[in-house]
Amino acid sequence: MPTIIAVDASISMLRQVPGRNEHTYLSLAIKGIQHLLDNFTAAGKLEHLALMSYSMTADLRVDFTRDYDQIRQAVKKIETVDKSCLLTLLKTSVSIMSTWGAQNVLQLVVFTDCGLGFCSTSISGFLETYAGKEADPEYAWLRTVANYNLNFICLGLHSDLFFTRALVVYQQLLDAAALKGQLFMTPVKNQETNEGGSAASAPSHKSELGRTAVFELIERLCETSYKSTEVTLRCGSYFRMEAPVLLWPPTTPYEQPAVLGGVEAQLRHIDQRIEVCGFLALSDIGSPATLSRHWVLPKVEREKTSRRSAGMAAGMAKPAKLTLDTNNPNYVLESLEQDIREFYAKDPKDTEESGDDADVTIVLKHSTGPQTEQQRESLCVLLHGALKMENMAALVRMGDKWYGFIYAFADAKKKSNLMLNILPPGSNVIPWLGDLELLGFAEDLAPGETASFPVRADRRSYSQSSVVWIRQASLQSDVQKVLRHAKKMPDKTQHFYKELNRIRRAALALGFVELLEALAMLLEKECAHLTLNGASNECTVQLQHAATELRKTSNRDIKSTIVPHQKGGVSDVSSSAAAASTAGYMY
Amino acid sequence: MFERNQKTIFVLDHTRYFSIASEEYISMDFLKGKPTGHSAASGTGSQFSKSLWTCACESSIEYCRVVWDLFPGKKHVRFIVSDTAAHIVNTWSASTQNMSHVMNAMVMVGVPSRSMPHSSDYSVIHGLRAAIEALVEPTDEQIQAMASGIPTDQILNEGRVICITSARDNTSMKSLEDIFNTVLIQQNALSAAAPKKELVINHCHLVILNIVPLGIDSMVTNRNLLAISPLLDVEIHTVGAPDISHKLTHLILDHYDLASTTVTNIPMKEEQNANSSANYDVEILHSRRAHSITCGPDFSLPTSIKQGATYETVTLKWCTPRGCGSADLQPCLGQFLVTPVDVTSRPSSCLINFLLNGRSVLLEMPRKTGSKATSHMLSARGGEIFVHSLCITRSCMDEAPSITDGPGGRVTDYRTSELGQLMKMSRMVPLKSRDPAAPNLARRLPRYFPLTTTSTVLFHLQRHLSWLPHFLHLLLKEDMDKQDEVRCQQHIHELYKSASRGDVLPFTHTNGARLKPHKAKDQYRLLYRELEQLIQLNASTVHHKNLLESLQTLRAAYGDGPTKTDAGTPNLRAFTESPLSPERLEAMSNVSVASSNNSNSLLKASKRRMSNCGTRSLLDIISSAERSQSNKRLDFSGRICTPNGQIAKLYPDFGNKEKDAAAAAATASGVGIVPKEETNRS
Repeated sequence: MPTIIAVDASISMLRQVPGRNEHTYLSLAIKGIQHLLDNFTAAGKLEHLALMSYSMTADLRVDFTRDYDQIRQAVKKIETVDKSCLLTLLKTSVSIMSTWGAQNVLQLVVFTDCGLGFCSTSISGFLETYAGKEADPEYAWLRTVANYNLNFICLGLHSDLFFTRALVVYQQLLDAAALKGQLFMTPVKNQETNEGGSAASAPSHKSELGRTAVFELIERLCETSYKSTEVTLRCGSYFRMEAPVLLWPPTTPYEQPAVLGGVEAQLRHIDQRIEVCGFLALSDIGSPATLSRHWVLPKVEREKTSRRSAGMAAGMAKPAKLTLDTNNPNYVLESLEQDIREFYAKDPKDTEESGDDADVTIVLKHSTGPQTEQQRESLCVLLHGALKMENMAALVRMGDKWYGFIYAFADAKKKSNLMLNILPPGSNVIPWLGDLELLGFAEDLAPGETASFPVRADRRSYSQSSVVWIRQASLQSDVQKVLRHAKKMPDKTQHFYKELNRIRRAALALGFVELLEALAMLLEKECAHLTLNGASNECTVQLQHAATELRKTSNRDIKSTIVPHQKGGVSDVSSSAAAASTAGYMY
Repeated sequence: MFERNQKTIFVLDHTRYFSIASEEYISMDFLKGKPTGHSAASGTGSQFSKSLWTCACESSIEYCRVVWDLFPGKKHVRFIVSDTAAHIVNTWSASTQNMSHVMNAMVMVGVPSRSMPHSSDYSVIHGLRAAIEALVEPTDEQIQAMASGIPTDQILNEGRVICITSARDNTSMKSLEDIFNTVLIQQNALSAAAPKKELVINHCHLVILNIVPLGIDSMVTNRNLLAISPLLDVEIHTVGAPDISHKLTHLILDHYDLASTTVTNIPMKEEQNANSSANYDVEILHSRRAHSITCGPDFSLPTSIKQGATYETVTLKWCTPRGCGSADLQPCLGQFLVTPVDVTSRPSSCLINFLLNGRSVLLEMPRKTGSKATSHMLSARGGEIFVHSLCITRSCMDEAPSITDGPGGRVTDYRTSELGQLMKMSRMVPLKSRDPAAPNLARRLPRYFPLTTTSTVLFHLQRHLSWLPHFLHLLLKEDMDKQDEVRCQQHIHELYKSASRGDVLPFTHTNGARLKPHKAKDQYRLLYRELEQLIQLNASTVHHKNLLESLQTLRAAYGDGPTKTDAGTPNLRAFTESPLSPERLEAMSNVSVASSNNSNSLLKASKRRMSNCGTRSLLDIISSAERSQSNKRLDFSGRICTPNGQIAKLYPDFGNKEKDAAAAAATASGVGIVPKEETNRS
């Protein structure tokens, strides 16, 4: 989620925090930013960050990057300038965010002491002028800001009346402009309940706003706005084929519109457990429309779970201790895997002896030492490897009649990872795959039945030989086709009649009887022309025959077909009587 | 769900006036392909014209061609022909909602006769009445909604009537309008009384196209959309007959929220000059969302207005297509069906055939910065052509974190190819109906599937022990029968033998020679444990259960803690669990090794080989026998001891606890092909 970190650079930020000689508001903000960066680093440095400082002007310090050191350096150099103007920041952020498409969730994190600004550039001033002008094009940029998530880290003391009043105005701004925003501030409840008049009690000030308090705000921010979606990915029934994964960026709920007579409009979330239903070749899937895309990352267990360590402890102990506990089959399997690893692992002295053993690809550490994350096997990596090798994607069920695809995605730099494309909810969202609920395996087919992708649709007009004569040129090319065949009779007799009937049929449908007469004339002219040039007798006979048939009003019937003139003088071979013999001439 | 454009009804005036010529002449010479400057220049005898009827007919059919191409089965178009009465050409049902039905039906309608008497019986009013009656008829979707118990007053029923007629003046147009409005209100009153079959019309949009032959001025004035009543909006357009198609193409954009894209710079080989290629443009229609969905702040799609057109088209440049594979799983924001504006032109059909043959075309647009972006892609799937709107803005998914840097990324012995095989076997296909009881993926994939080769002994050895895959196959059979069980029991017994001799299993990466003595024992213990888990996870028959039991007994015999104590085996366990017993077994087998000769067993092995090989040389046989020797593979000892044709008895001595140790030694010596080097080292 691309994020602009903005620091208030008004002079008021230089004030010392009351009761905290070691901190100014600015230094606390900088500490907060460093902590935020630490959090993002721990989460894998996935977020694109930009740094801005704002006062009367808003300056871009660092453009969007994943190189957090740049931001760490730049933060230190921020100096206060003049008075605060939040709206300048919001307006400037629109142009800085503009490189990102609407598919990304855009975030703004503002570190401020919640100064309101002064006079016309103040928030209160803005609210006065804005009232009643919501639709004014001058404020169109606010529509764009409304798509962002605004996070305000409000640095201030609840005993400070300026601060508490400012919070109210900030909230008014969010409400008035319909912005998605959240104000993060130190908790106020404890003091009110415990001490009543908090303004009087000095010691509470000291504990209210400090390094720890700011860090807590950052933790809350990360929890609410930057938490990856945690789900369980399941692929088959073996317990190792089921693993907790993180989806980044986090999934956003889908706003399902109300269904007539059915469900009310609702927000739909993906299931806690997403399950692979089967596999499809990438070439069969193509590029269907997707709701959103996410990396599928293995969830890192920060601490060893108690079960894991229990399993390892049991692994260390005599196997005789193991009992088949049907309630917890994984326990047995885990300890078995552990023992096998131990079996493959070399003894410490063994490792020294055989350092040259190249094809040993085993975990060298003894089971007593914890494996590092990179060395612990992961379902995601196995799935990625197999999908990539087979050029396939896994169809994953995200919820009731809601699907997605997991596949190996490689970027331009050939870096590859496991990607999840979430499809729009519904089972019929990809026409060429058909109903996703009806996908099964070859074994499920009835005997003798075959099935393959793509699911064929009815023929569209462009895959039939449509007749459209709105442009004269298309009429011309259809007529010329007949004339071309006419010249090559008797070789092309069947083609000639096929095209002739096609035109005739279309002309009848459109009530274009004028064309039938015109065509008859053209054929007669052609006949005369060809006779002069000594064409074959067969050719002229057929042309004359066709012209006559075209003129017959008795042939203006859907069932009739003009058939070639038969030698032996059966001159009147036409209409429905000839229907049986037409089969031979029709294609 | 039920938008206004779900129901469209064309009312075609079939009165005598429509038999007259549209006055746009087509010269015969032109049809023959002779270049003529202007069609009017030719003599009157060699030219002809479409009638007003033909113009109305072809343009309305073209309208529904576009609708049915873009919204198959979703948007419905009906035709009603009006002369002395209304003639219904098709219904709302899917079987009549297609081009061939309409074309065939139109053949029967035919051109209005010029000899018809001019009387008041001939009127478009009949058709308009019938159109209102048709609007109250529910479509298949509406019938479905009614059947599902939704109150009929909640099912939105709106529609559009496009009437192609010719009126004398504004007054007659006004009366047409008034009659329509009155009938609409009357019909609603009737339909409200019959709620089961008919739906009240919530709104109707009446489009009147007043057509005149070319060059004739009409007394009827054009009028934009006007709300006549809350139920009815009317607009009136007067057009020359040859231009109805243009008018309808323009109107259809609004009626279905469509947009036009012109693919420019399509290289095409000329018929006359095959070496060079000229560039062509093809205009296509599709949902407007295909454009709006890609728009971003730093770019806008380039538009232009084609000559003679009254609407904007977005011009995108053709990009030389890439291979089929690169078009898969592009970041796509939306896919929409397309149809060419001019379906019969050569450039259109070239582009269409190119796409239908399975290739994709990327379309390019300029950015403000001067660079270019591929904003759309054309591709055909299942015989339909789609435009895909691609994501061209910066995405937070750019710059992938490499999976090798993530958790588990440094593990190199994943069982990737095994999983790949399983994926190929679990490829999905579209079914006509799905049996809910059919096994799902979880039941198709193995119930025991360690992710890496270092967490399994069994699957590791599978590659090096030739009998193991078959054994595993038998074990996993859901319908295991007695015969399968017997074979499995043989294999298990064989394992027991080889364990008794202390054979080193052929691991590749632990280099058998270096295997420590305690590990040599571990290998069987682990193998047994794994086999036990495997059977347990797959146990579905009594045979599985039998196998499981014998395996558990085996584990017990091998000094591995059994999982449950059978009544018959506690003594056996007590014996085998003593720390010395495995060593004693091996010691005894060592003794037997010394006495037995290798040549003996070599001969036996070659004999056995001969039985199942047809035409192999002696060298082949000997060398393969030797190979099997070096593999330390053993024939089932029971078979060797038992005369041909008789069934070997399994574990003849099991349960006979006193003799157990001795029996083990005896059976081991009965085969006796443990290689000296291995046992000596251990």
